[in-house]
Amino acid sequence: MRPPVELADHQLVEDLFRRESGHLVAALTRLFGPSNLTLVEDVVQDALMAAMQAWQFEPPRDPKAWILQTARNRAIDVLRRERRRVSLPPGLDAEGELGVVASALSPAEETASELAMMFSICDGGLGQETHVTLILRWLCGLSPQEIARAFLVDTQTIDRRLHRGRARLAELGRLHDVEDADQMRAREPSVHQALYLLFSEGYHGSDSTHPLRPGLCADALRLAELLLLAGRSTDHVQAHALAALFCFDSARLPTRLDDDGIFLPLAEQDRARWDRSLIDRGVVHLAEAAAGDRLGRWHLEAGIACEHAIAPSVDETDWARIVDLYDQLLGLNPSPVLALNRALAVAQLRGVEAGRAALVALAHEEKLVGYPFFWAARADIERRAGRPTEARPLYERAVSLSRSRAERRAYERRIEQLGV
Amino acid sequence: MAKFMYIFRGGAFVTPGLSPSEMQAHLAKWYAWAGALAKEGRHSGGNPLHNGGKTIRGQERMVTDGPYAESKDLVTGSLILEATSLEEATELALACPVFEMGGSLEVRPVADANDEAAGGAR
Repeated sequence: MRPPVELADHQLVEDLFRRESGHLVAALTRLFGPSNLTLVEDVVQDALMAAMQAWQFEPPRDPKAWILQTARNRAIDVLRRERRRVSLPPGLDAEGELGVVASALSPAEETASELAMMFSICDGGLGQETHVTLILRWLCGLSPQEIARAFLVDTQTIDRRLHRGRARLAELGRLHDVEDADQMRAREPSVHQALYLLFSEGYHGSDSTHPLRPGLCADALRLAELLLLAGRSTDHVQAHALAALFCFDSARLPTRLDDDGIFLPLAEQDRARWDRSLIDRGVVHLAEAAAGDRLGRWHLEAGIACEHAIAPSVDETDWARIVDLYDQLLGLNPSPVLALNRALAVAQLRGVEAGRAALVALAHEEKLVGYPFFWAARADIERRAGRPTEARPLYERAVSLSRSRAERRAYERRIEQLGV
Repeated sequence: MAKFMYIFRGGAFVTPGLSPSEMQAHLAKWYAWAGALAKEGRHSGGNPLHNGGKTIRGQERMVTDGPYAESKDLVTGSLILEATSLEEATELALACPVFEMGGSLEVRPVADANDEAAGGAR
């Protein structure tokens, strides 16, 4: 027994259970085949439950090794027990399952397993929302209830997506291998898009009580950086650009809400509290991303996020470069929300009247009419132009459309500051 | 100081469908509770149990698989605690996370064969 003093203040690595859940589901699905995914989920759940119980008074010296060992034993039990009942991939029915299972769960295979799972999930036969759902369930260890909460949909919707995903993966027969460069390249845009949605959900999510979910942002960044470990099968230039974008935006997470959980405008955020190490990491990724000859969407978005992250203040931000990057982005992919953000940058660069004209020009966009940020942006411009009476009804419209307390209070606060 | 045994039953360890985050968040509560008691020098670690095992019963030594209990009554672990009285040991148990998911906790004075004064309940 250890001396009592060491027992105090135990902590596990943050997200250890979620991380290992993702790792184990991927590794065992790769081994048993996706048609046995339900069996795999049972093995993983069992191993994690056993860990929780065994560690109730203190964690082991090496928690990861403990979980892997337990999962390995349970997987071998399942192999022996289920051999006649479920169809296992050829090769697994021979003796020597111990070695096969041990190597599938070895640290050396961890990245390959998670990549195989991620690329197989992002299948063209499944929708983008399903891709994100499956990533959250099988690579990030969220329960269907937790995913439903994050997306503001009911659990049945999530269950239906999981069901479709299971069926599609079962049709594949086996997970795509990282070495299969053709499959990796073909699926890569879907993987990037899914990670982008995952990140966005954490950055301005639809969960009204938790408008920020930094855990989801961290997952998206981790998985984007995982793409860089995929050898030559993936496009590192694009992956670096995506990782850079996630780094710059993650760095600003600590100041997005104030102490009362209300969204703070950029101008009021304390830049000293932005995460310098994440900004530096983003700069390194962006430099690596510049190695390519193609400027993609992620490069441009990362470029904009970088300008914000490295600027000492709103006034000292390189708005000319930001407007230029938005113009390029709109050239690639016209979108009303991007146009809205460009208009705000124009207001900084060329003055409020130019920004106002750009915003008013977007008033017919159907997608923006129900978007609270559009009305708040128009209100901000009126306020800055010294027209508080014009600003007030616009803020009120933003309040009526707001999706969370954090948003609503932010707009109400600005109405209070108008003094009209 | 006298010794008491906490016997933990049911709770999160027998609750199906917990997510990994819920498991880890629950463990953190155990560490906060057991860690604070350890810091006061009241215990030096508990005995977590696995849920499997065997039960042997009766004259005929009948051996069956698994513990003999409904899941809510399943003993999931124990811990020997130092406290001045049964009342204090009970009070200290109230903050235990075992209650959060329908579990229960039994507080039992540990008997000492060499201490006559300690006979009977305190």
